[in-house]
Amino acid sequence: MSAARKPDWLKVPYNRDAVNEVAEMMRSLKLNTVCNSANCPNLGECYQKHTATFMILGSRCTRNCRFCNVTHFHPEPVDPDEPENLAAAAKRLGLRHVVITQVTRDDLPDGGAGQFAACLNRLHEVCPGATVEVLISDMKGDRACLDTVMAAGPDVLNHNVETVPELYAAVRPQAVYERSLEVLRYCKQVRPEARTKTGFMVGLGETEDQIARLMDDVLATGCDILTIGQYLQPSPQHYPLARYVTPEEFARYKELALSKGFKYVASAPLVRSSYRAAEALEA
Amino acid sequence: MKKNIVMPRLREEMRSGVLCAWLKEEGEAYQKGEPIFEIETDKVVNQVEAAADGVMLRQLVEEGDEVPAEAAVAEVEE
Repeated sequence: MSAARKPDWLKVPYNRDAVNEVAEMMRSLKLNTVCNSANCPNLGECYQKHTATFMILGSRCTRNCRFCNVTHFHPEPVDPDEPENLAAAAKRLGLRHVVITQVTRDDLPDGGAGQFAACLNRLHEVCPGATVEVLISDMKGDRACLDTVMAAGPDVLNHNVETVPELYAAVRPQAVYERSLEVLRYCKQVRPEARTKTGFMVGLGETEDQIARLMDDVLATGCDILTIGQYLQPSPQHYPLARYVTPEEFARYKELALSKGFKYVASAPLVRSSYRAAEALEA
Repeated sequence: MKKNIVMPRLREEMRSGVLCAWLKEEGEAYQKGEPIFEIETDKVVNQVEAAADGVMLRQLVEEGDEVPAEAAVAEVEE
């Protein structure tokens, strides 16, 4: 892959010292970040600002989505110290807004919902002023699991639809578009005061009509916040990149989503679902 | 003080990286925080920032070279 193929808007700063400081702290507390596991392009910027997205329940995912860089392998045992260590890291980083995501754990009866609740509870004790956003898997659409997460009081419930339904079979073969919509709809229903949020990638081969329909579907669930970002192919073995979407097109998608009624929209090439997540909550 | 700057290990798993562009010529001064070279990854191009004010003395690799992580890419005065 040659540098000439990458547009200028995909150049990102990298500060070695700032990255090492946060990375070392995460290692010492045995914590994973999706920033590292997903090879996030914003890692340099976020670590420099002392922000990170914690990834709980191990580093190995039980699903094998073709866009994702997280390792697909036998899952690890759940770490009982993880809630304590996560809260300690959030406090040390001075986070005002904590984002927690997960590897999908289809092997666990509760999909990892109990660990989310434990992390939320400990964060509320250790960092009482901080808001918390959880970025969850679909938990197979199990309402008892979703109840467990929502009862622990997240300020933002995020679940990504990731792409248009026409591409699910190729890109997210173990997920179901309607089920993801139902997760968003149900979580809003059981805890209306929490903001719900979703995101999707472009550049996978979707059409603008498909994007517009996806926005309508998501909005109908009561979803408040939408994020749209460029798909970046993690390796030649992953789902092939169709094209780089221009910043002007991202601006048009944002206008379209706002005109449909979303309360907050982040749409730009390097937007990721947790990138500058606090801004969406403050808006 | 003369020192080497190295190919950073962007992720724990990274074994090597492609230095795709020099942003400072030999003999050119730079300030802390200025990007001094670019590394291409599968996803993006990382612009590596200077850790301190300095001068680029000698580039040890060519643009396009694949360099092992932590191997020297330039001699600098910092």
